[in-house]
Amino acid sequence: MASLNTFGAILSHAIELEAQLSDWYTRLGEAAKARAADKRRKKLERVRRENVVEITLEPIEGLNAGHYALDLNDESAAGQAAVAQLAARFYADVAPKINVRAAQRALERCGREHSA
Amino acid sequence: MSKTIKNYVDGQWLESGSDRLIPVQDPATCELLAHCPDSTSADVDAAVSAAREAFNEWRSTPVLVRAQYMHHFKVMVEDNFEEISRIVVREHGKTMDEARGEVRRGVESIDFAMSVPVLMRSDGLEDISSGIDETTVRQPAGVFAAITPFNFPFMVPLWFLPTAITCGNTFILKPSPQTPLSTEYLFEMLDELDLPEGVVNLVNGGVPSATALMEHPDVTGVSFVGSSPVAKIIYETCTRNGKRVQAQGGAKNYIAVMPDANIEASVSNILGAAYGCAGQRCLAAAVAVGVGDAYDQLKDELAKRVASLKVGYGLDETTQMGTVISDSAKERIESMIGQSEGEGADVVVDGRDFSVDGYERGSWVGPTLIADVQPDTTMANEEVFGPVLSLMKADSFDEAVDIINQSRYGNAASIFTNNGKHAREFKYSVNAGNIGVNIGVAAPSASFPFGGQKDSFFGDLHGQGMDSIEFYTERKIVIERWV
Repeated sequence: MASLNTFGAILSHAIELEAQLSDWYTRLGEAAKARAADKRRKKLERVRRENVVEITLEPIEGLNAGHYALDLNDESAAGQAAVAQLAARFYADVAPKINVRAAQRALERCGREHSA
Repeated sequence: MSKTIKNYVDGQWLESGSDRLIPVQDPATCELLAHCPDSTSADVDAAVSAAREAFNEWRSTPVLVRAQYMHHFKVMVEDNFEEISRIVVREHGKTMDEARGEVRRGVESIDFAMSVPVLMRSDGLEDISSGIDETTVRQPAGVFAAITPFNFPFMVPLWFLPTAITCGNTFILKPSPQTPLSTEYLFEMLDELDLPEGVVNLVNGGVPSATALMEHPDVTGVSFVGSSPVAKIIYETCTRNGKRVQAQGGAKNYIAVMPDANIEASVSNILGAAYGCAGQRCLAAAVAVGVGDAYDQLKDELAKRVASLKVGYGLDETTQMGTVISDSAKERIESMIGQSEGEGADVVVDGRDFSVDGYERGSWVGPTLIADVQPDTTMANEEVFGPVLSLMKADSFDEAVDIINQSRYGNAASIFTNNGKHAREFKYSVNAGNIGVNIGVAAPSASFPFGGQKDSFFGDLHGQGMDSIEFYTERKIVIERWV
């Protein structure tokens, strides 16, 4: 299981998560949710690019990608709710580990959108 | 068959006249990425000639138009951000985050150059005598060159090039022959900008091209970043040849950790400062001075966390520290660790003979922590430029400051403390050009000059900030009377 132990590892995981969700929601015919996921992906790409502050890069501990693997096989309403819940938990767990406030805020907002 | 990098002269990609080629390797995989030509003085002549020819038209191009090129340039860098970062990782060996951070700081320098229309404005005074007005104007000064290092191959050229040309000068870059690929990419983007031919030029190579630039009569000024012995040579050669010069050298950066500091948070930041870019940066934390009780706490916390840093290939996002630049760098660093051991220091975490699965041929030096370093020894005084952090003990704040001020270098120094009085006293009395308070890497942003004192800097005007506007312009005083 890959460790989410750097700024880039966390942001790249978030970007990949939103890309997966966008594809998944498209397949499920949930166009609005797919668009929202794609919008978040683009925002996170910008956040990764603009908020990587070289002088404050620090190792990150205690996060593992395996804990946030989405189960995209269950397409039921309950399955979709579980996916959204796990995505929200991911953002809630990773945001406090990032030491750049702008990036933290973006992650928190992604989490809120998944909880809504 | 790997490619041979070309020079970019007068708006065209040209082969160097040299038949000497320098191999460019990925230091983690040892894959041969390219060959870099060791360009000749004739190559430099062609670049300087093109830059000189382009100067008059370029200086009369409105400054707002020149700044507009920087807007387009920034967009190109943002659009290609990930690709550039990957190139930096491959040619240098650093991690993706470090490469992204480097590209980001390069973008900051482009942002700064966009403010040249404001920063080049000057002042004036009416009626300095009856009916006589006096004004100052800033004018571009001519052809400038930069000789840049391997450790930040994309960022350091951008400390100089955007501001130089937006001020109306023309420019020649000679990057490190160890890492010429991201600058090649940079020039591919500049080529897309359709700047007038000759405004920006790229000459690849080593000592012969650097010497030719420093001695060329048509080069107005030279910027350099590298080691102190070379910076001194650059400074002396350029001044002997009547040029402006800013030569940023090496460092031995100290960090004082006070007993009142939050040790855990301090160590998190110190890890990045000491082992980021595998310690190959002129602002790397080299020696942490633990004051009083802080020493043992610092040593214990660092020992625990240094050993757990993940070393690996930079393209893997989970890598926390990459390789050093070459096998010869690895040998030099390992030899210095051995020397310090011989001098009685305690190698707490030993990065010698380090290997990474799947990349066994790479130039690896593991993160190294050396304790009980004494003031008159190798690790207290010599720049390692590798992932080695030394620990020294001081009984008091004053003793820590004395230890730091004894260094012949003066690039950066930091203090970790919760005591404002100590922080203030540190800023006031430590002789270093960049001071960090609860920041291990005191790297100035683009709108501030990059400080440096003692053997860490040779020259008068530093890179970045208003110093760079001064460096790249000539002030002319105009006194007028109309009868």
